[in-house]
Amino acid sequence: TLLTTVARQGQCLSRSQFGVLYRHAVPMGTTANEEMNKFWAKNTRLNRPVSPHISIYKWSIPMLMSISHRGTGVALSSGISAFALAALVLPESYPYYLDLIHSMTFGPQFLAFSKFALAFPVAYHTFNGIRHLAWDLGKGFKIPEVYRSGYIVVALTVLTSISLAAM
Amino acid sequence: MNIKLVHILELLILNTSVFLYCLFLSLSTALLFRSSSLIRPLAVQKKDRDCPYLISAKIHATPSNYAGSGSKAASLHWTGERILSIALLGLAPVAFCYPGPAVDYSLAAALTVHGHWGLGQIVTDYVHGDFKIKMANAGLFLLSTVTFAGLCYFNYHDVGICKAVALLWSK
Repeated sequence: TLLTTVARQGQCLSRSQFGVLYRHAVPMGTTANEEMNKFWAKNTRLNRPVSPHISIYKWSIPMLMSISHRGTGVALSSGISAFALAALVLPESYPYYLDLIHSMTFGPQFLAFSKFALAFPVAYHTFNGIRHLAWDLGKGFKIPEVYRSGYIVVALTVLTSISLAAM
Repeated sequence: MNIKLVHILELLILNTSVFLYCLFLSLSTALLFRSSSLIRPLAVQKKDRDCPYLISAKIHATPSNYAGSGSKAASLHWTGERILSIALLGLAPVAFCYPGPAVDYSLAAALTVHGHWGLGQIVTDYVHGDFKIKMANAGLFLLSTVTFAGLCYFNYHDVGICKAVALLWSK
């Protein structure tokens, strides 16, 4: 209740209960973007150290899943770009290089594992992407819902990756 | 009854402490930066010409409030990102059931733009400073252009994306 009291007090302040202190709201001439740039420019110029943040904050499932969504996105994008670059640069055709890889006879477990390794980031990014789209519709923001949808995404990812690796 | 008294006490203590804190802030600010403003609050100082009051809350007003030329570019970009994500989601089963050049080129375009916009958000999050932002976005644009070119080249001169995935999975 102390917290709600504080929140209510904060609202009262902005409604100028203490009228003499916050009588006027003045729009700034700069945009938020410009203010952000000014912040970074000043602080990098003064060579100020950054307070520890991600090195000290306790990791949570939603945090992990969020950065994994970004990580898988970067990995997949890099893979696609590397593939596109290879297509432009390499002299031979795709079936040629595919046969070259297959001729190296790695064994069925290795092939299944590499299929799993390829399918996993695609599946994770796809399912977590759907979770993001649900949030964009305003659904599923309650903390239990966030965790529940997160577990579902991970379960679906593992199941899908295993099924795809078996194909 | 007891709990109510405690609440009232909490409120009183909080109220007075907040008021005293604000008073302290205003006094110290006036003393440190605008020493004359407390003595003569009606006097308009040169740098306070725009805000002649003791304390003003500075806010960022959205452009559409005070300027007639508000831009919906950022908002439309956001919507575009979501629509493209949904389109890419729908493209996956289509690629599985109806592989061919139409889907190949659609995939090339959708994947490239989705990746470009996604990496663009990462640049916005982590890159600071006007010049660095410009350079990072230029590099990203170059990467996405080469990616799209490469994928189209692959679709035209080689087996195409759908066939490539099928072949990769066949062994």
